[in-house]
Amino acid sequence: MASLSLEGIQKIYPNGFHAVKDFNLEIEDKEFIIFVGPSGCGKSTTLRMIAGLEDISGGTLKIDGKVMNDVEPKDRDIAMVFQNYALYPHMTVYDNMAFGLKLRKVPKDEIDKKVREAARILDLEKLLDRKPKALSGGQRQRVAMGRAIVRNPKVFLMDEPLSNLDAKLRVQMRIEISKLHENLGATIIYVTHDQTEAMTLGTRIVVMKDGVVQQVDTPQNLYNTPCNLFVAGFIGSPQMNFMDAKCSIKGDDVTLTVGQHVLKVPASKKKALIDGGYDGKTVVLGIRPEDVHDSQAFISNSPDSIIESTIKVYELLGAEVFLYFDVEGTQMTARVNPRTTLRTGDKAVFALDMEKIHVFDKETELTITN
Amino acid sequence: MEHTQELEKALAELTRVTGVTLDVKANTPEEERQALSQIKCLYTAYKEKYNKTDFLQGLMTGGIPSYDIHERAQRLHINPDEKRVLFLLESDTMDEAVPEILKNLFPAQTKTYMIPIRDRAAAILRPLRSNETAEDIRRIARTIVDTLNAEALIQIQVSYSFVIQSLSDLPEAFRETSLALKVGKLFYSEQTVFPYNELGIGRLIYQLPVSLCENFLKEIFGPEIPDSLDEELLGTINRFFQNNLNIAETSRQLHMHRNTLIYRLEQIEKRTGLDLRLFEDAMTFRIAAMVLNYLHAERNQ
Repeated sequence: MASLSLEGIQKIYPNGFHAVKDFNLEIEDKEFIIFVGPSGCGKSTTLRMIAGLEDISGGTLKIDGKVMNDVEPKDRDIAMVFQNYALYPHMTVYDNMAFGLKLRKVPKDEIDKKVREAARILDLEKLLDRKPKALSGGQRQRVAMGRAIVRNPKVFLMDEPLSNLDAKLRVQMRIEISKLHENLGATIIYVTHDQTEAMTLGTRIVVMKDGVVQQVDTPQNLYNTPCNLFVAGFIGSPQMNFMDAKCSIKGDDVTLTVGQHVLKVPASKKKALIDGGYDGKTVVLGIRPEDVHDSQAFISNSPDSIIESTIKVYELLGAEVFLYFDVEGTQMTARVNPRTTLRTGDKAVFALDMEKIHVFDKETELTITN
Repeated sequence: MEHTQELEKALAELTRVTGVTLDVKANTPEEERQALSQIKCLYTAYKEKYNKTDFLQGLMTGGIPSYDIHERAQRLHINPDEKRVLFLLESDTMDEAVPEILKNLFPAQTKTYMIPIRDRAAAILRPLRSNETAEDIRRIARTIVDTLNAEALIQIQVSYSFVIQSLSDLPEAFRETSLALKVGKLFYSEQTVFPYNELGIGRLIYQLPVSLCENFLKEIFGPEIPDSLDEELLGTINRFFQNNLNIAETSRQLHMHRNTLIYRLEQIEKRTGLDLRLFEDAMTFRIAAMVLNYLHAERNQ
């Protein structure tokens, strides 16, 4: 397996479209890296540049220390799995997996060894004689993975491989891919627009927007300490609540005012606001739905972080309840215990866990308090 | 006497087309000329009668008269009135693996025909199933790209045609897919699949005469038409357009002070008289940039 280095990678198309800007990343051997972001953010373009399917306009790509910018894709020792994979309909599972190796004129016995090994890893041994028609969606996807595995590449590149599967199968395949990563000990770069997929699969996640890397971090760190408003909003479902708040600093006391609600900023967060000179300025206050509490005990203990509103929608999901309400014209969501007595139309009191708030600069959208 | 190079070539072609190996013993140049002529007649007739690829190639390029299409198609067991879609593929690195992969992706029983066009291009004529929609056709095009990317690891672009109702529509479908591929590569180079009906303003520009394009550019840039626009400047403007002419959002995304962005826009206004903050001027500039790009590509060709 291999390490990768992307230094100042750029992609500018001949029509002037600047798809990827100054992409810098060091990927260690055996890492499972996720490129995530909305459609058109440059994640697939970056992956295709690594594969050699797009020319690199600027910067340096290295695989295992060797510069790869001008190396032919077939000589980069990579294997790809795409969204619109197609199995050869008239071939058996075995032949589907062997086909790529036959094209490369690999000796028969070596092909046989590699195919059977891949089939064992993917639990396809009993299906080797079947044709694609006789396979389930998940099994077909595993065969597509098998075609990549038999190549024994240094790096696996996967471009939204689960996007064409239904929700249930996607969850199942996520687990399969995770197991595969463990079994192969492979370096995998995986592109998705689905943040759940990103959070559950990746050892590190690269969040991209408009061709620019926003943040590179572990799933946990991205969730807990997003570097800007975009990352904070993109990672997490339901997404983080955002409200405009006016910052007031009086001596050592820092408060954030949202309409009539005055919220006291805890010691752990206020230094950055004081040092940044935010007194009198409007900032963006972010709080995750699970940090908005409706329990009486929490409310009693947090008199300086109370907000009041009327419940607009009550959504029971079994293990949790989502409550939707407005605060100063902004829709908010609280994720609470299903034992809550609040229902649509009720007047409600919530307390924010101020230790968990995120504060962003309204101009730059960068985080202030993390 | 020894065979001429032309005769050797004709004999090789005969073997390629028919599988028959022939030897010629000629004593005079006249005899050899006769033999050459007969061999050529033989393989041409064979091609016409039995070779589906040659028939479809001829049909696509308008080399077969319309009155002849049905009869010859039937002779070759090609249903002339089946609904089909034409896909056109192009790659700079089309190697021998590509036809092999395509042959297996669309095996014989699917009645899909693979037609080589040039060294770097090939066409696929695929029947359309009754329940297949426009979205399915797009997905097939994507599948071709993804499969060739994954299996052959080559860069590839694909365009596709409207639904062909009968084989007599094939020449027009070929013209449309060829145009889609050229226009797509020129104006939408970030994509790999170009449907015939999504060429937008690129289609218009591509069909304009060069002199007309130059006159239009002279209106915008004056007599000194630049070869191309400064990449950084073009990047800034593209982002400004992508953000619907929103200065605050663009400067934020580009990590640029709004005054720097405004200064750049004013520089363009000084140069061209176009205030890109106004929709109409922005539109004119966008078209001018596309025309410039087109002329640049034309000159490079």
